[in-house]
Amino acid sequence: MNKFLRTLLPADIAKGLSVTGKHFRQVFFTANRRKVPFHIVSEYPEVPAKVQPRFRGRLTMLKDEQGVIKCVCCLACEKICPTQVITIEKGKQEGRKMPYPVRYDFEMERCIFCEFCVESCGFDAIILNHQFELAAYNREDFSLGTEGLGQNMFEPSHVGKFSVADD
Amino acid sequence: MFKNEEMEINLGPQHPSTHGVLRVKLRLDGETVTHCRPMIGYLHRGVEKICENQSFFQGQVWTDRMDYCSAVANNLGWAEANEKLLGITVPRRAQYIRTLLNEFNRIASHLIWLGTHAMDIGALTVFLYAFREREDVLDINEAFCGSRLTTTAFRIGGLREDLPPGFEKMVRKFLAKFSDCLEEYEALLTENRIWKKRTIGVARLSAEDAIALGVTGPMLRAAGVAYDIRKAFPYAAYAEMDFEIPTRTEADTYARYQVRMAEMRQSARIIQQCMDGMPEGPVMAKLPKILRSEVNEVYHATESPKGEIGYYLVGEKGSLNPYRFHVRAPGFINLQSLPKMAEGGLIADVVAAIGSLDIVLGEIDR
Repeated sequence: MNKFLRTLLPADIAKGLSVTGKHFRQVFFTANRRKVPFHIVSEYPEVPAKVQPRFRGRLTMLKDEQGVIKCVCCLACEKICPTQVITIEKGKQEGRKMPYPVRYDFEMERCIFCEFCVESCGFDAIILNHQFELAAYNREDFSLGTEGLGQNMFEPSHVGKFSVADD
Repeated sequence: MFKNEEMEINLGPQHPSTHGVLRVKLRLDGETVTHCRPMIGYLHRGVEKICENQSFFQGQVWTDRMDYCSAVANNLGWAEANEKLLGITVPRRAQYIRTLLNEFNRIASHLIWLGTHAMDIGALTVFLYAFREREDVLDINEAFCGSRLTTTAFRIGGLREDLPPGFEKMVRKFLAKFSDCLEEYEALLTENRIWKKRTIGVARLSAEDAIALGVTGPMLRAAGVAYDIRKAFPYAAYAEMDFEIPTRTEADTYARYQVRMAEMRQSARIIQQCMDGMPEGPVMAKLPKILRSEVNEVYHATESPKGEIGYYLVGEKGSLNPYRFHVRAPGFINLQSLPKMAEGGLIADVVAAIGSLDIVLGEIDR
């Protein structure tokens, strides 16, 4: 009987409401939400998301100061890739001692962003940029190469306009 | 007038209350479960077979994707099993950082369990609180290894890189507030009348049954058996850490909740000790250019948040990839205790039993 009477008392509801009130107060008295430092929620599409410096995004090829591709086709990245998404075709370029990648194909739809390729590269020719919005409408858009109609390996993808630009 | 007949129903494969794609075949007499069989295999990817065709180095990415809630713990087991097989000693600083990240991962895994388990039973609020702190842990993961969930945190022989600048500040900030946060969760649940009614005495699994079924982890410790691989067979830097194994004797869902909450406190303690006693030195051992196995066969067990995760590797001497690879997944072994817990109980308690198992189907199906 006593137990039944206790269930009628709204003590639990009052306790719950006090927690709600506490959190409401924190938001209500700080009307400008962007200034509140302890806000957990960020206004993501409007405000670009921040990522850590080591973030693993999309694979990107680098060029040196003269605008020459750093890759020398050692095929280390191709060999270490757990999902075999990189295909390189060796070639020659006039006035260049080292081999030159005629084709550097990257199939992004199967990439798992593990950064093994960057780790294996002895020439710092590739990095993973800070882009994470990589969705696309067509399957062809995921096939990246050094040239051609699709996206290329040197620029960040077009689709990720809200993610952090690589700098 | 009324036919007295048992009814067979499927809980799942995609019931919103079950995690992942688990199907439970139930036979009901009214609301009482008389027969319960979990059906698995909906997420099978053949991880073991894939790893046999890849080098020792490459295999790690698949361990991330087994138990995606505790990827770091899986990475640690894989890395240590391989080090045993290849005969590599890891530097002390790397061991400490591994321990630190592993404990952070335990906190993240237990928080996701707490949130989803409470949500299954009906306390939605805890989910939001638990995921708030999990976010911080994932940020720490991201700061260290660049990825939040599929971490690929370690390398065979040590770590890829040392701790990033500003890492210690992040950890200290987290530790300063975490015990308050735990109290916040407990304020919502421990004395909550509905929570107690839904969990106390529900889904009992006695110590004898648990041992007979091979159940490990918090499930076993909630039954009163103080078995923790971190203490029993210390690995990484756990031999130098001072921590307790929380146990309860009630062996019900509430006891499992208490054990996991106490474990999070112990994890915070271990992180504190790791941060204070972090030795200096290199983080990577000297490795040969090509990794070849030294011994023929190795089994290495570590304590993942779910229980004992063991890696069994057979590598013929001098081979580049494992000849045979097998994972003793804690979720897979723990799941077979579900019929024992659910049969004879009510259908609503099946959800509580599944929740208290803390299963991740990616690991069970592999």
